Amino acid sequence: MFGTQIRDVADDFNPSRRRTLWNTPNKSMPTTTHTIRYNTGKKNLFNPHLMSVKFEDLYGFMVEGNVDDVNVLNEVRERIREQGRVWWALEANKGANWYLQPKISSNEGMISVTSLKLSVLTNTITLRRLIRKGVPPVLRPKVWLSVSGAAKKRSTVPETYYDELIRATEGKTTPATRQIDHDLPRTFPCHPWLNSEEGQASLRRVLVGYSFRDSEVGYCQGLNYVAALLLLVMKKEEDAFWMLAVLLENVLVSDCYTDTLSGCHVEQRVFKDLLAKKCPRIASHLEAMGFDVSLVATEWFLCLFSKSLPSETTLRVWDVLFNEGAKVLFHVALAIFKMREDDLLRIQHIGDVIDILQTTTHHLYDPDELLTFAFDKIGSMTTNTITKERKKQETVVMAELDQRIRRLSSLKMDG
Amino acid sequence: MAHRVDNEYDYLFKIVLIGDSGVGKSNILSRFTRNEFCLESKSTIGVEFATRTLQIDGKTVKAQIWDTAGQERYRAITSAYYRGAVGALLVYDITKKQTFDNVQRWLRELRDHADANIVVMLVGNKSDLNHLRSVPEEDGQAFSEKEGLSFLETSALEAVNVEKAFHTILSEIHQTVSKKALAAQESASASGRSMQGTTINVAESSTATKGSCCSS
Repeated sequence: MFGTQIRDVADDFNPSRRRTLWNTPNKSMPTTTHTIRYNTGKKNLFNPHLMSVKFEDLYGFMVEGNVDDVNVLNEVRERIREQGRVWWALEANKGANWYLQPKISSNEGMISVTSLKLSVLTNTITLRRLIRKGVPPVLRPKVWLSVSGAAKKRSTVPETYYDELIRATEGKTTPATRQIDHDLPRTFPCHPWLNSEEGQASLRRVLVGYSFRDSEVGYCQGLNYVAALLLLVMKKEEDAFWMLAVLLENVLVSDCYTDTLSGCHVEQRVFKDLLAKKCPRIASHLEAMGFDVSLVATEWFLCLFSKSLPSETTLRVWDVLFNEGAKVLFHVALAIFKMREDDLLRIQHIGDVIDILQTTTHHLYDPDELLTFAFDKIGSMTTNTITKERKKQETVVMAELDQRIRRLSSLKMDG
Repeated sequence: MAHRVDNEYDYLFKIVLIGDSGVGKSNILSRFTRNEFCLESKSTIGVEFATRTLQIDGKTVKAQIWDTAGQERYRAITSAYYRGAVGALLVYDITKKQTFDNVQRWLRELRDHADANIVVMLVGNKSDLNHLRSVPEEDGQAFSEKEGLSFLETSALEAVNVEKAFHTILSEIHQTVSKKALAAQESASASGRSMQGTTINVAESSTATKGSCCSS
């Protein structure tokens, strides 16, 4: 039966095919342009490229962009279909679920490679290449659960774990649940399902459940965006929960979201160093301006780009993130700076840096453009180098946080 | 003056918005810079900022307003956020006592990160929800007097006092800056040295487009 039918990516959005958590208003592909609104600025009336357009993107978000964005999105949609055909063809050739076989983790050294079968090695390489080109939306839940290790994580606990966790947390109020309740209506209100009672209830269960699973993390603002997007992709709430768990416990560096965000501080410092190595001209220009990269990159690393990039572009980053690990975030963050090198070198104000980077990410509807920069133009960075750099920065961050606490408590005594 | 272009201004003042999560910082920002209020706004994580140019005491002032996340754990990562700020609006929600109780901690945060001369204004937001009030206006007033801050209650939703709050703080900043500039000038002429090399926090420039040392 393999390869006898070419499944369309649109099927992914058809609620009748599977038990979905959310429905798009349109049963097949979301229509592109719902309303075209002219900006009030007169000049825009004559430049169709600057015309403000409101449209629904590939994952059902109502977004505002320009005509170019809509055109790019249509091209992306076509590329997703083509990519889907590649995946189905491979399935026909290698057997269904070939990509669920054990893979070589990028963290393992070359020693283990020799002990693996050649076919596994081939599959790992093929899969890596394929994933960088994008996982078709319909396959994302299955592929992500497998390559991230979430499926394995779930298999170590009883099947009833999630249901029991949710039951145990019902009716309980903690600082985490209070902050979660505050953030639910403020999490992608531009998405109809996330703005619905059902969507918010589901997001609440995932976030509250996790806050009880790991009380050191509890709830950190930003996780709401990550969990929301996971729900939209995974469609099954429990799968979204396990993806969140594997992300925080295995994929990202530890303590990214705990009380002082120390892991996040470390990543910011590592990023700053990498920028100086990979984009020295930008780094020294920003340094001279007194611009701290954490002003823009904190949000990127805590929301994993979900709040900055268009949904499909974010998910393409996540495809690679789940397969190759947290260093992917550095590649992508560096790429965003690199893409705008000429503009960044020209400007003199901190505010303009933020403006340029925010506008760039907002309109990055072409995931391939970003990923080409991220992997081909930034060049390779070994996990080893990054791990060493993290260790170095960890000491500095801990000392700084410690000093901060001491400073604040002395201020407390003063007044 | 009729030919002024957008980026011409006498001063550029950076003002940061601080206060607990959900007190309405982002909506105060959008009300002041775009005259908008969004009931369905996203929670802020990184840094958002917007600018508005206005006349303060006969000078053209470009106000650059910065907004960031309010959750406690974010406080330690925001030293870059405070850099160069000459003003701060410390916002609490008049319907949530906890957000008022935390004001003292935010002041400590300012003392730790910001310039010692930063002008601070305490803002009790959501005055439209008077029926849900849990912080009496007098409490806000008394606290700000004790700490030497200016104080106003605002409603970003109903556009009450937002304009006034910014005008007040910008005017206060302008006065501080003018006094400093004057003092620096006097000390320079008194010692017979030129103005060059004198440290002034906020430089004045008449029509230059980059007449600021506050933004960067």
